[in-house]
Amino acid sequence: MPSRLERHRGSALRYCALAAAALALLPAASLAGRAGAAAPAGATEVKVERVRPRRESLPTLRFLKDNRAFFRARLDQLRETPLERRGGAAAIDPRFLAYPGLRDGIAAAGDSVAGLDEARRAHELFARINDLGRLEAQLDLLEHLLAEQDARLGVLQHDFTGLQRTALAIVVSGYPRAAEVSSVSITLEDGAAIAVPISAEQRDALRRGGVLQIFHGLVEPRSQVLEVGLGGGPWAADSGFVTLEPPRDRLTLLRLDLSPVQPAAGATGILASTWLQDAELRGSGSSRTGP
Amino acid sequence: MTRLRAGLDAACAPGVGRALGGFAAALALGALLAAGALAREHAALAARAGLESAAAAAQVWASDAALVYLENDEDVDEQGAAPRWGYLYFSPSLQKARAYSLRDGAIVVAEDLEMKFEAPPVAAGWIDSGAALAAAEERAGRAFRREHEGRVSTMLLTRGTFQVGDPDATTWTIIYTSPRTASLFVMVDAARGTVLRTWRG
Repeated sequence: MPSRLERHRGSALRYCALAAAALALLPAASLAGRAGAAAPAGATEVKVERVRPRRESLPTLRFLKDNRAFFRARLDQLRETPLERRGGAAAIDPRFLAYPGLRDGIAAAGDSVAGLDEARRAHELFARINDLGRLEAQLDLLEHLLAEQDARLGVLQHDFTGLQRTALAIVVSGYPRAAEVSSVSITLEDGAAIAVPISAEQRDALRRGGVLQIFHGLVEPRSQVLEVGLGGGPWAADSGFVTLEPPRDRLTLLRLDLSPVQPAAGATGILASTWLQDAELRGSGSSRTGP
Repeated sequence: MTRLRAGLDAACAPGVGRALGGFAAALALGALLAAGALAREHAALAARAGLESAAAAAQVWASDAALVYLENDEDVDEQGAAPRWGYLYFSPSLQKARAYSLRDGAIVVAEDLEMKFEAPPVAAGWIDSGAALAAAEERAGRAFRREHEGRVSTMLLTRGTFQVGDPDATTWTIIYTSPRTASLFVMVDAARGTVLRTWRG
């Protein structure tokens, strides 16, 4: 049976793990660090192709398109000007009303911990056996406070981690030995283009194993083709195409490793891999970020 | 009311080359068989099956997007299920409409609608395609199919477009076509599942 101190140590570790997992929900800061220099285990390699992949062309909403004149005419008849508008306030989500209570609980717990800390400092030496009893009571109180904090984190997890929407984060790692890359560009399927210049500091960081996040945003949960381009001397107008299928309500990460890129192969030499971010708080207090 | 094109013309012009007509019919039959064979590779699902995925994509496109129209993109079976459904969303802020076609739970087509389609959103509690088709079959559809070699060509969910008297009503419209006679339209109240009216056109 574990001793009380061991149990407290376990609780503290669990609490730290919970906090780490909560921090992992913060998007940009943690992603770059988590991607790391080493290839993530379980990541799926994706091919960077020279030619944009062709896609099956399927018709949709044929009846609507065949009868567009009818629908347009009917919608024109339906359009009305509102005569009266309600000015009443909308109901506030009761969860939001409960958050100040959570905040107060956290503040109260913080005060209690501070008080306990002061008391502990006042009793650095235990002259009598009764002091050990007081220490045990204090440890019980700490355990109780940790349990309450765990419950609060659970409330926040329930309310917010379930709101993950389909998102994509693209990170760049490595740096080619053969030539300089001055920028990396991404063109999404809807035509939105992002060009990220690589500064001298970032170049140095990439050479030393750093990771640079170049995109983090919402994407539609469907198969889509991204165009990846490299900028700089030998890479002018050079691009490749990556096909991704981000699953719904998950964060998909795409890593573009530039280290094996050669001028001859251009962007198709990029080593691309993808994986899903899985950061959630478990009931036991453990956290997991994969792969 | 503007005449709707239900997919098959009710009457063919006489004397316009029966041989050509026969050839075209054979081609059409071949195409239908091929399409049917392809469609059988994918599971037929009710209209609501793809709603969550379509809505998730639409919310990425525009946070104020709302479903305004739904239509089968492939043939509907007797249970009101189809291998592919098309969902149309309208965004008031963008003043644009975007369509998503889903098959096997995945979006296989995502495209902006080129025409202006500022339609009101359909009510949330609409009955699924199976229940709507059952109501239509019970009222007039089954008899039409039997008597005129008809078939269900289109099921569409919309609000106000067909219901002149009650533009707020969300309705299913089931369109039966026949090579021998005018098409049958059956309108079903998408909240209660009752047939509101039928007409030929």
